[in-house]
Amino acid sequence: MPTVEFGGKTFTVDEDGFIDTFDNWCEEWVQHVKKEEGISELSDEHRKIVNVLQDYYRKNGIAPMVRVLSKVTGYKLKHIYELFPSGPGKGACKMAGLPKPTGCV
Amino acid sequence: MAFISSGYDPSSPMKDRITDIGPRKYDEFYPPVISKNKGKWLYHEYLQPGVFVHVAESGDEVYSVRVGGMRLMSIGFLREICEIADKHCGGYLRFTTRNNIEFMVDNKSKVKPLVDDLMSRKQPGGCYKFPVGGTGAGITNIVHTQGWIHCHTPATDASGPVKATMDVLFDDFVNMRLPAHLRVSLACCLNMCGAVHCSDIAILGYHRKPPMLDHEYLDKMCEIPLAIAACPTAAIKPAKMELPGGQKVNSVSVNNERCMFCGNCYTMCPAMPLADDVGDGIVIMAGGKVSNRVHAPKFSKVVVAFLPNEVPRWPTVTATIKKIVEAYAKGANKYERLGEWAERIGWERFFEKCDLEFTHHLIDDFRDPAYFTWRQTTQFKF
Ligand code: HEM
Ligand code: HEM
Ligand code: SF4
Ligand code: SF4
Repeated sequence: MPTVEFGGKTFTVDEDGFIDTFDNWCEEWVQHVKKEEGISELSDEHRKIVNVLQDYYRKNGIAPMVRVLSKVTGYKLKHIYELFPSGPGKGACKMAGLPKPTGCV
Repeated sequence: MAFISSGYDPSSPMKDRITDIGPRKYDEFYPPVISKNKGKWLYHEYLQPGVFVHVAESGDEVYSVRVGGMRLMSIGFLREICEIADKHCGGYLRFTTRNNIEFMVDNKSKVKPLVDDLMSRKQPGGCYKFPVGGTGAGITNIVHTQGWIHCHTPATDASGPVKATMDVLFDDFVNMRLPAHLRVSLACCLNMCGAVHCSDIAILGYHRKPPMLDHEYLDKMCEIPLAIAACPTAAIKPAKMELPGGQKVNSVSVNNERCMFCGNCYTMCPAMPLADDVGDGIVIMAGGKVSNRVHAPKFSKVVVAFLPNEVPRWPTVTATIKKIVEAYAKGANKYERLGEWAERIGWERFFEKCDLEFTHHLIDDFRDPAYFTWRQTTQFKF
């Protein structure tokens, strides 16, 4: 598997740039994905989405459904896209260190 | 090759971004005769296989010539299609819902030169590039999927078996001798992308072995509850596993007795692959349809439980399909679709006429509805 380096750390990633395991998630990873996703400034709102995704994943072992993410954060899908242009899956879940979304996507 | 930018700026991806513009509006591409007579068509007729005329209230006529398309085609091939459209049809053409190509002309005198031109074009290997046909009571194109060209869950190929099958059924593409039209579809796994569940004859990729479990990566790559919930027979449960190195990890275990190899868990979890060279093969289904003509729409039913993948020509599969087509052509009444014929004569006769073996695999055993597929009557033929 390929690796990327950022902020002095090395991460193993898959071909879509998702981290190999949630356990290796760290602040440097967030900064790396911020750059990859073309996000200019990380706001509290970005942080809130990442936190909600991580809490949910730790508790339930899955990523939340989009409706759950909207309900818990209070952000409509449109706003989530404003924060993460690639969307909740390819953008936010990647930054939060969750496994790559699967299924017929 | 050197990188050539389209003008997109990766450092500010949202700049000058155009979105939500949807497809081009269909009427931008209408041939003039279609625009003019839209909504005012009186009747249509087949002139010969692959060629039909629509007549409008104004007296205008549009002649359509349908040719087989291989669906997976190169830009070079698309350019040739455009060249033909430019030469004969004022630059207009369309694709059908079964991925055939239709060239339209507004005058009868233009039909023959077009058909002759189309039939004269061949691939270097000898295949027709644009065989004219696919209309009426014959066999038109096979709706199919990605196969080994592009998907990660197939149990068989798509383009390969479709080519092999259409070669065997070619005479029925260029003729209209059957009792009614006969739709053939293929899907390379039982996700059934396309139309296999509602076709007269369906070719379906099938596995026969349970998934392999990559315990080292499973919890890292997969959302375990999704894999568990993906299983229609509840064969999967969460499990703690010990890796050879002694490390304990979260993973799943599969009850092989309950697994019927659908592959749904692999769709959700990359650490549960199940494709297998000798295990995988093809199931044949028959008797489905979507139209409401005379009888309500029907699902296709499994009639052959397993045929091996025989690359590159799938001879057993094509021979079996040919057998079913011939039995139907001989036995069915005019206008009768394959499923209507099978139900009229009884499925026990269908198996006899088509010379297919009836095995226990064909008996439904999935949940309560299975019961309704058994025979609760003494009415049957010896
Ligand atoms: C008043 C307008 C129209 C009516 C009522 C009409 C009706 C029908 C009917 C009933 C069929 C089914 C024939 C069969 O399955 O045996 C059919 C087939 C078809 N029509 Fe039309 N049609 C109309 C206009 C058009 C126009 C303008 C076009 C395109 C130029 C068109 C293209 C086709 C095609 C491609 C088929 C499929 C033929 C086949 O699969 O064998 N139709 N139409
Ligand atoms: C004017 C030039 C080109 C245009 C407009 C173009 C357009 C496209 C489009 C629309 C796709 C499909 C993307 C999708 O699936 O959503 C695609 C895929 C692709 N193109 Fe091009 N392309 C061009 C040139 C090239 C060239 C020069 C190459 C290689 C030498 C190339 C290689 C590919 C490959 C490998 C794919 C991916 C196929 C796949 O993943 O299934 N393209 N292109
Ligand atoms: S039928 Fe299955 S294998 Fe074939 S394209 Fe669809 S999902 Fe992929
Ligand atoms: S292949 Fe299908 S039946 Fe078998 S374990 Fe996976 S989901 Fe369940």
